[in-house]
Order: sequence, then C-alpha cells, then structure tokens
Amino acid sequence: MKVIAHEIELDSTVSLNQAASGCDLQVELVEGADCNQLRDLGFCEQMRLRKLTNGRNLICSVCGSRLAISSHLAEQIQVRRVS
Amino acid sequence: MEEVPRLVLVGHPNVGKSTLFNALTGGKAKVGNYPGVTVSHKTGEFFTPHGKKAELVDLPGCLSLVSRAADEAVTRDVLLGGISGEKVPDLVVIVLDASALERHLPLALQVVELGFPSLVVLNKIDLAEKNGTRINHELLAEELGLPVVPLQADAGKGVLDLKQALRFPLPLPPHPAWHESGPVVKAQEELAKKLEDLGEPHPKRQAWMLLADKDYRSGGSELSQEAQAQAVSIADELSANGETAEDILEKARRDRVRDLSGLVVTHQSAEGADGLSFSDKLDGELLHPIRGWFYFLAIFFLVFWALFKWSGIPMDLIEGGFEALGGAVSGMLPPGLLNDLLVDGIIAGIGGVVVFLPQILFLFFFLGVLESTGYMARAAFLMDGVMSKVGLSGRSFLPLLSGYACAIPGVMAARSVPSAKERLLTILILPWMSCSARLPVYLLLIPLLVAGSLAQGLVLFGLYFLGTASAFIAALILRGKVGIAKDHQPSFLMEMPRYQKPDWGFIFRHLIDRAGSFLKKAGTVILALSIILWVLGAFPKAPSGEEQDQFNYSAMSRIGDVIEPVVKPLGWDHRLGTAMLASFAAREVFNSQVAISYAIEEGDDEEKTRSDIREEFRSSYSIATVLSLLVFYVFALQCLPTTAVVSREANSWKWAVVQLVGMSLFAYLAALITFQLVSLLT
Repeated sequence: MKVIAHEIELDSTVSLNQAASGCDLQVELVEGADCNQLRDLGFCEQMRLRKLTNGRNLICSVCGSRLAISSHLAEQIQVRRVS
Repeated sequence: MEEVPRLVLVGHPNVGKSTLFNALTGGKAKVGNYPGVTVSHKTGEFFTPHGKKAELVDLPGCLSLVSRAADEAVTRDVLLGGISGEKVPDLVVIVLDASALERHLPLALQVVELGFPSLVVLNKIDLAEKNGTRINHELLAEELGLPVVPLQADAGKGVLDLKQALRFPLPLPPHPAWHESGPVVKAQEELAKKLEDLGEPHPKRQAWMLLADKDYRSGGSELSQEAQAQAVSIADELSANGETAEDILEKARRDRVRDLSGLVVTHQSAEGADGLSFSDKLDGELLHPIRGWFYFLAIFFLVFWALFKWSGIPMDLIEGGFEALGGAVSGMLPPGLLNDLLVDGIIAGIGGVVVFLPQILFLFFFLGVLESTGYMARAAFLMDGVMSKVGLSGRSFLPLLSGYACAIPGVMAARSVPSAKERLLTILILPWMSCSARLPVYLLLIPLLVAGSLAQGLVLFGLYFLGTASAFIAALILRGKVGIAKDHQPSFLMEMPRYQKPDWGFIFRHLIDRAGSFLKKAGTVILALSIILWVLGAFPKAPSGEEQDQFNYSAMSRIGDVIEPVVKPLGWDHRLGTAMLASFAAREVFNSQVAISYAIEEGDDEEKTRSDIREEFRSSYSIATVLSLLVFYVFALQCLPTTAVVSREANSWKWAVVQLVGMSLFAYLAALITFQLVSLLT
C-alpha cells in the first residue's frame, strides 16, 4: 500500500520548470547530473519554495533567499504544489 | 615562543565573512595568494578580550566542502592541510546567514563532520528578525554542541560577544551525532586506519572527505596513489549495497538540517499582502524581459555620462596643481638638465596620468554602488541570455565585469565559473573588456572627436560596447577551439541578493584601495617609465644645441623612425608609434609619452596641459588617426602582467601567447581598416 501511495504522490509532481509562477511548492525529488549542485544551493528534498518568475532562467524564493537557475536545471527538480 | 592560534572564516559567498573579518581585525589585512594558485585570501590579527593574539584568515566563499568550482577547492584544501606552507586551522568560524539558515546549515554540518573545533556565527540576524524569522540560538548551540553567536557584522553588533566566545583554550570538536552509527562511519574508521598506516596526515579528516567526494578520491587530492586506491575500494564496497557513501552522508545531513530547522527556527511572514517582498516587486521591473534591458542600458549609460560630467572640477584642480608644481620647480632651479628632467619628464609624465584619477574613482564608485545594492547579480541574470549564445553562462558576467576595472582580478575571478571550458573561454576574451588603464587614453582622445559631456559619454559607452561585443564574437569563434560543443547549454545558477542600501564603508574602503594602487603605480612604474622616456627624448643632445632640433636628434625619434613604416598605414607618426610601444609596459604611459614628447619637442619650459596636447593633436592628426588610435587601444592586449596571470590560470603558456599575439594582430588590423575607411569617407 505504501508503495502505491508513494507512486500516486509522485504522479502529482511536476518539474519546477512546468510549475506556474507565484505558486508555493515543495521539492519532492532532485535527480539528474547537477543534483548535488542544486542541493548545495538549497533545492533539497522537502524544502518549500515559491516560484517567482518563469522564462529562460527562473527565480525562486527558497528559505528567504532568491535563487536563479536555468530552466534546464529546473527540469531536474520535481515539485508538488502546497496550499 | 608561544604559537599564535590560526582561525579561519568559512561560509557561503556573500554571507558577510569579509565584513566580519574587517570588524574583528579593524580592516588591517595582508592580501596574498595561496602557493600555486591565484585565489587571494586576507590574513589579519586580533586580540581576544583576554589579551590573547590570534591570526584570522578569510577563506574563499563556498557552498559546500564537496567542491565544484576551483576557488571552493581552496577552502577544502586549507582545512585538510593540502596547501604546502599553510598551517591547518586551530578553529573554524562558520559564518551562516541567519535569514536563510536552512540553506547554510549543511556547510556547518560538513565542518563539524571533519572534526574541527568550531564556532558558529549567525550573521544578518537583524535581517532575519525583519523577515519575521526567530532563531533559538541557545537551542541551536546545544544541538550542535558548539558555541553559536548571533551578530550583525555590518553594524559591528555582537562582535564583542564573538570575541568573548573565542576564549582560550579553544572548544573541543563537537561530535556529529547524526553519523553515530551505520556503514559510512565504519568505513570511515577503516579508511582512516589504513591512511594512518600509510603515513598520510590528518587521516580521519582525509577519510571523511574521500568518502564524501567522488572527485576527491578519483585524483582530486594530493594523497598517495595507494591511499586513493584504498579509498576507491572501500567506497565501492559501500556502494555495492545500493547507496553510495556520498548519498548516505548527504541524506543524513539533510535529515539533520530539517530536524534542526524545525527545532530552532520559527517564521512569521513579514511580506506584503500579496506575499511579495520589496525585492520581488523590484525584480519584476528590473528583470522584465523588455523593460529590464531598458533599465540596464540606462544605468550603465548614466555611469559613463557621469564620469565626464562630474569629474571636471577635481580634474581641473589636479591639473592646476601639477601646473603650479611645474612652474614652481622651473622657477626654483636654474635652466638645465635637472630642470628639464623634473618639469618635462617627471612632472609632465606623472601629471599626464594622475589627472585621470577622479574619473577612475568615479567608475569604481558607481560599480561599487551597483554591486553593494545587489544590482550586479541582476545584470548577470539579464546577460545570461546573451552569453549563452556564445557558449558562456551569466556566471561569466561578473569576472568579465571585473575586467572593466582590471583584467588581472577579472581573470582570477573566473575561478568561480564551475565549468573548466567556460572558464578558459572567459579568460581568453576578458582582456577585451576595457580596463581602467585604457580609460586615461580614451579620455584624452574622445574630446578630439566630440564636444559636450553627453556626446562624450555616449562615445565612451560606445567604446566599452565595442570591446564587449567583440569579446562575445570572439567567444563564438573560439568556443569550438576550447572544446565547447555548439549545442552546449550553459548552466546558470546564482543567488540573487536582496536589494539593499549601499554599504558606504565597503565602497569607500574599495575606493581608497584603488586610489592607493593607482597612485602607487604612478609613483613607481609610471615614474620610472617617464624618466626613461624623457632620457630617450633628451639624449643624445643635438649638435646645434637648439631645442627645436633636439627631439628629431633623440634616441626616441630614432626608435620612432624605425617603427614609423609599420604604424604609418594606421595614420600614426613616430611620436604615436613610440607612445604605443611604451604603453606595452602600462597603457597609461601613452598619455605620459605624448605629454613628454610634446614638452620636449616644442621646447616649452612649462608642462603641457591636456587642452594644449589636444590642440597639438588637432593640428597634427586627422579624425581618422584619432579613431584608429582608439580602436587600437580597445583591442590591443598591452599588459604583460595579464599575460603572466593568464598563463598561470589557464595552466598553459600556449593560450597566453596565442591571446597576446592574436589580440595585438587583431588590434593592428582593426586600426588599419578604421583609418583607411574613415580616410576614404572624409
């Protein structure tokens, strides 16, 4: 049952690139070639963030800091919308 | 003699380490480079309230000890004793941003895991409180097992508490409870034992780093091959169970950070009703895809306009001062060689350069204001789109921007670019950013083309734009040569600091440093070159003894005659040819050389002023010649110290020589085309 619940939860995630700007989000998974670099900057699993802008580079507010990342790096971050 | 304990400051970039360093040491610092690398560091001393002296080192900022950029590796190597001649620190002062604690805590945990006696500083505590963040620092200290001092370094608040906390004997290393058991701890103990048997220094710390960083154990360390092989073998055994050592350590640390944050941090939103802060709203304008570029161009144009508009009065004062000095010296001494040397050689030579000090200081003032307010990171963000077209990311923008001040710190700042290929490409194009040494030449020549500060500012802006645009075109051509594929997508990853009021202390300290360094150069290199140039212009003496025959008979004129056939197609004569040659030692010498050659050639007793020189120029040279000179100075790499630093940073003389020769040839061709084209059209 736990496995199914986890899969359903993952199904509701989108990449940070796809998430709408202005939304409050929670990082579910960071996976890809640059995952450690992204974690060092603050994009860790369970971290809450707000996506501020869209575009070629996007800006997120993470833990009181504004972080800018390329959209192709944002593809490596899976997020879930939180209320 | 009792050994002075060594303390190091470790923290993310822009966390306030340098401000804290200045607050502790009173700003008295020795700046140096680590042996073998050109990452600069500051070392200073201070006394604890108990009268004990301590040495303090400000290390390069890093996000993690598992390094990804070259400058981050320096911090790691200093902690591990991997830099020869550098003593391992006795205590690490971990500087964290209290307003973003959750992001900064992983680095603190890494330092604790290395087993260093440590102390945590929660800087920007005022900002955290303003944002509605409360941190229970006593509970944090209890949980981490080390002293925690909240402070506001830029206002000096809490610095005394920090000094009190730095009492001796230093605290014992805390125990990283989040790694109490498990396979990695066992593996670390096993590896440490093997390293100890192999005679490696600091085996426990080395073992931790070898397990935590794949690149470090795959040849990134200075350890013996056998030690590295042992590390690879133990790490492989661990990963056979499914998870790598790095992953296990990273996950345990992340869980600990989450627990700690939940325990010690409470948030109350201090943002506006729409959930956006002032910085967010301002970014909406300044980073707008269209309006953002308008602001960007307007800001930088205003800077160049102000250089001309506001510096007139101080420049006139300096010029008047040198004129008065020349007149006084000329009146005090009888006519003769000494009088000529002092007035025509030294005073005219140095005066011709020092007069541009106000404009250089204005440039650094404006760049300091833009950096201090947080706008520079936004400029890098905007430029990323343009730079990605030539294979670079916005991360290269800040080193390139430093190149506007001086190419050498710009080349060194390129170490913050994580990709080695992008770093090399940045270094290769960087000298085309017009450095401050070119500024005096531009400022001498621009008024010959146009009048009025607005038009002059526009031309100056155009020259900077020409250098920058050409650099990007060169990057496009060179990207394949340095191994950057056409479809390469550079990664942009950067923290955008909050907008804030300028830090005037930082700006003015920087201005004083720049003024000191410029005047030191004027008093040493320019002074020596001015004397040499005067001697070359004044000797051998003309047999007629007539002053008007002297220059044509001098060694300088003979050198000029040799070089004249080469520079004639550019519209230059022997005087401009020798000035160009002399400025390979330092570009500013062009002005000195022109001032000296006119003073000698015209046989004047008094120093020539800028306006006199310009009058001579107008009567002697066409607009085409002035444009050709400007174009040459935009493109030529006339700075041998830059070539030396490039060869060290690129770890190759080949690239440095290719850059020097390539840029010189390009400058010659561009000046030739400019002169010939403009001559045809006018």
